[in-house]
Amino acid sequence: MDKDLISKKELLDLTGISYGQLYRWKRKKLIPEDWFIRKSTFTGQETFFPKQTILARIHNIINMKDGLSLDELADKLSDMSSLNSTALTAEDIVSRNIVSQMTLNKFGNLTSGQSAYSFEQLIILYTVDYLLSSGEMSLEEAELLSQTLVETAAKFEGKSWDLYFVRKMGVTSFILALSPSELVFDEGVRLVNKLSLGDLLEQLKGKLS
Amino acid sequence: MEKMPLSDLIINGVSGAGGGTYDNVRIDGVGKVNGAIEARSFKGNGHVHLNDDVKAIEVECNGIMNVKGSLRFGNMKADGLLTIKGGLSGESCALNGMINVKGDCELENLTGRGGFTVGGLLSAGKVEFCLQGQSKANEIGVESLVIRQENKGVWSKLWSGMIPKLKPELRVGIIEGDYIDLENTIADIVRGNVVMIGPGCSIGRVEYRSKLTVYPGVRIMKEEKISE
Repeated sequence: MDKDLISKKELLDLTGISYGQLYRWKRKKLIPEDWFIRKSTFTGQETFFPKQTILARIHNIINMKDGLSLDELADKLSDMSSLNSTALTAEDIVSRNIVSQMTLNKFGNLTSGQSAYSFEQLIILYTVDYLLSSGEMSLEEAELLSQTLVETAAKFEGKSWDLYFVRKMGVTSFILALSPSELVFDEGVRLVNKLSLGDLLEQLKGKLS
Repeated sequence: MEKMPLSDLIINGVSGAGGGTYDNVRIDGVGKVNGAIEARSFKGNGHVHLNDDVKAIEVECNGIMNVKGSLRFGNMKADGLLTIKGGLSGESCALNGMINVKGDCELENLTGRGGFTVGGLLSAGKVEFCLQGQSKANEIGVESLVIRQENKGVWSKLWSGMIPKLKPELRVGIIEGDYIDLENTIADIVRGNVVMIGPGCSIGRVEYRSKLTVYPGVRIMKEEKISE
């Protein structure tokens, strides 16, 4: 049997979800139809899935399903998993106009010796570049943001987050909160920008495809 | 641009119409529609032929309805005979009669009595069905499935002996679900969490996780408990 395929039964054992959940998610288009691979085995027909992708997707669904309806989730998930495996080199990033050359030169040293940027690193670069190019953030602040994201974004483990960029009396802070979130500040605080991972992914997706 | 209010399509008697987007569609008598229909509410009484896809929030159907394409709806109430060449998908469906779907059938709620035939996969949240005639599905995947036999009288036995279509039984390849409660079902494989096999069943293989109840005298070739 193929190593990178997983049978339906094994999948349910491994993830602890039930048949009902699996079918419900399929109906809601959380799991694409073409991941269901039918094969005949000695017990009759069995359904198989591509192992890595389905496990990642189910992990995502379980993590994200609190606070979101299944329909919202479906929009969010549609084709994110294929992006997670993308890796781009510095030249690619610049030539595709995803991140500006300047940002890349200054903050592009995320990869330790490797030539390609992973998707998570791309998100960080893109976020920094987005705020820099909008003129709302200075270079020093960008430094801080890049550092914050590198250190903390991984802690969300694939869950969606919101980034709050606030200033008070000339002092800048970045706040990362699990989305959907609603923060209330005191009067002296000015909310410069609010970005959500979902939006960033959407934009990035547009640029990559 | 100002949006025009959608118009209605009303057919009384014997007539035909083109497809399009409507507010209300009402067909009484014999109606034939060529082209795809999108409507807020769709009501068909009598004999309705639809030669393309149908999409409506509310669907009500009495009599015979033939759909050559696929049918999508929010809620459907159907009495009579329904034939759908494509797929069926919607929120809830209350059926009294026969439904015949060539493709896949995706519903959140299916309740009814009569019979159903699904060529592909019947995927649903909750199914409660009283069998009055022969039903078939290639595969069923549900959260909860309850199949009952409607009338157990002498007359129904007599009729079903003469006309096989009236024999209340369900034939399925594979049933997978969380809660499965069956009667008069012939299945190759049943996989579930809680499985109840009632009278009149014949099952090739049962795989269950927490509980299996079998009516005395029911034939099951092989039963297997899947440990956590």
